[in-house]
Amino acid sequence: MRVTTGLLGQLARPVLRALPRRALGAGAAAGLLLAALPRLTSADFDPRSAMLLLRGSVLAFTLGLTFLLDDPARQVTAAVPTRRMVRTALRTALVAPLAALWWTAVVLLIPAQARPPVGDITLEAAAAALVALAASAAAIRLTDEAEPGQRLAIALLATSMAAALLLPQEWGLFAMPKDKWWAAGHDHWAFVLAGAVLVWAASGPEPVRRRRLKLTPS
Amino acid sequence: MSAVLEKAPPAERADEQRRSWAAVLALALFEARKLLLRLPVLFMFVLYAAWIGWTMRDAWTTYPALQDVDRATQTGPLLPALAVLLCANQAVLRSRRQDTDRHFDVLVLEPWRRTVAFALSVVPAAALTALLVAAQFTWGVLAPGSVGHGSVGELLVGPLTVLLAGTAGVLLARVVRSPFAAPMLLVLAFFSTLFLGAVPGGSDGSATRWLVPVIGDASSKTLPSDLLGRPAAWHALYLFGLALTLALAAVLVNGGRTKTVAAALVVTVGLGAWGAVGQAAKVSKATTDARVLATLNPAKVQSCARHGNSTYCAFPEWMPRTGTWAKVTDNVQSLAGGTAAEEKLLVRQRVEARYGMDGDGAIEPSTVPYQVTVGTRWGGSRVPEFAAAVSSVLVMGSEKATESLCDGRMVTIMWLALGWQSDPLTQLRAVRLDDGISGSAIVLSPTNPMSMTAEQTTVVRELLAAGQNTVTPKVKAHWAELTAPKVTTAKVAELLGVKAPTGADKCE
Repeated sequence: MRVTTGLLGQLARPVLRALPRRALGAGAAAGLLLAALPRLTSADFDPRSAMLLLRGSVLAFTLGLTFLLDDPARQVTAAVPTRRMVRTALRTALVAPLAALWWTAVVLLIPAQARPPVGDITLEAAAAALVALAASAAAIRLTDEAEPGQRLAIALLATSMAAALLLPQEWGLFAMPKDKWWAAGHDHWAFVLAGAVLVWAASGPEPVRRRRLKLTPS
Repeated sequence: MSAVLEKAPPAERADEQRRSWAAVLALALFEARKLLLRLPVLFMFVLYAAWIGWTMRDAWTTYPALQDVDRATQTGPLLPALAVLLCANQAVLRSRRQDTDRHFDVLVLEPWRRTVAFALSVVPAAALTALLVAAQFTWGVLAPGSVGHGSVGELLVGPLTVLLAGTAGVLLARVVRSPFAAPMLLVLAFFSTLFLGAVPGGSDGSATRWLVPVIGDASSKTLPSDLLGRPAAWHALYLFGLALTLALAAVLVNGGRTKTVAAALVVTVGLGAWGAVGQAAKVSKATTDARVLATLNPAKVQSCARHGNSTYCAFPEWMPRTGTWAKVTDNVQSLAGGTAAEEKLLVRQRVEARYGMDGDGAIEPSTVPYQVTVGTRWGGSRVPEFAAAVSSVLVMGSEKATESLCDGRMVTIMWLALGWQSDPLTQLRAVRLDDGISGSAIVLSPTNPMSMTAEQTTVVRELLAAGQNTVTPKVKAHWAELTAPKVTTAKVAELLGVKAPTGADKCE
């Protein structure tokens, strides 16, 4: 079926209704709360703790994003003529402006004197968000699960904590502003972003033949 | 034809109850197995085991103190605790996710008993953690040269953290039924405690400081175990009470409103509160007094042992180590000449314990003639540092006298400290603050550091290259000239038969 603007207009409303609004909202709210901590507690703090809070907010929002493609009616919607790629892209496109708005609010909540370089942290946040989107697209592509969100959120949380502990410092993925590895780390973040985009795009099309990855149901 | 059931079949109450407890156990075992086999939990346990291997990799060469090893077991279990919290939460929510909640109404097992089973299912994960903690601690105990005492309270923190995390996950699933609540709240709690913990907060005596599962220390020094002043047992009791409280609260909100549950909840809240109050107390007067005594007048609490010519006094926990110190002292002394070769030294262990684990302080050099200070740590660069302290006392007469040292005697001191070692250049690197073997640098010792100039470094390096057999006879022959005050580095080099440097001694 050809994708036209008319079709997208028709799809927008039902897709908007089907968005997991509570999970996304909870993630956004948790992120805003973390970013607002310095203003709420009026504690004097340095760029390092600002960076910590920003990463916390991004993680919270990212966890919300892992629920984005959850669709309790997946077995039913699989039969609609619109391709899954279009529906997935539409869901993402509907959330994107809100995410941008949210990110602006988070960055503005951090007091200006402690704010890390905005371009770099935006790259970091975008890469993290894309990883979540790619993971959820891949889970939909590879399994038959209707709501892989919670499983993905747990996996993402565990992976990010383990990565923060284990990845060599030279990679700089979790470097602090003014650290030696900050610049190198953001090159790496760009790679992460690119890889996530590739995985996301590759997971878009519906498989021609069902090759299920059997995971034990939890 | 219709049959009318005249009376209900006789209920065998006791029998049914027994069966349902057996069902609880069966469900708990099933869930425990499933929890341990979940990918995130398995991954985190593997990671935790690898972390143990990584942290303990050099335990065999660093002479660990067991009162440090027990605290070092506490941060690792946070990894499995994270996974156990999330997966236990997910397991409780599974029936809701798969829409099988309704079917439980027809089963003999009431919902609250299912919650009991879920709470029990995290116990094996905590037991596995206890096993790993025990393995890590045993590794420390078996390490050659380990001293001191571990504390059961500190060792219990790891397994109890995992238990607490699991019961928190169960309670959370019973209170908030959405699948995203647990990961979200975890992130929120983690980052806000990190942030709020990093900002101000009094370090000692603060009642809220001990409310989180794992409490680190501001200082990384090693103290005798009775001077630590950490309320380890109280904290373990607090964690245990808190974990049980969360589990019973989950049962209670799930409809288990029996008298037994309510009574048990009251008891566990009491336990947790008792622990919380106990751990919030200030460091006791007895411990503070003991700290001051150990810092200012250690002789009162130390025992002494004689090895060869010298006497070694140490805190009782370190007495097994005096033999190791004696070997270093004897080696240093064997290179010295004159009276210094037979001098009776007193090696005394000293610590700065007045601030507990909340702060560090330098140890003042001793003014007593021929007394050498040794710290609580050993292994690595602590060995050449102690050797430097011994040789400086042999050359200068006391530790205090080395403060004003600024002449060629530094060469003799460094030669005595390093000449006998099998790899003296590595040790020279280790004992210098800049980790280099050229240029001027600070030389570390257990008390105040000494400084060596670039010229002295060159001479010392040449002496080390010449080797013990050529240098030792010359040192012994010229001992009086080498240790005379104001001797220049050039003169020392000439006496010992190496190329004299140009330039006068200039101290920084």
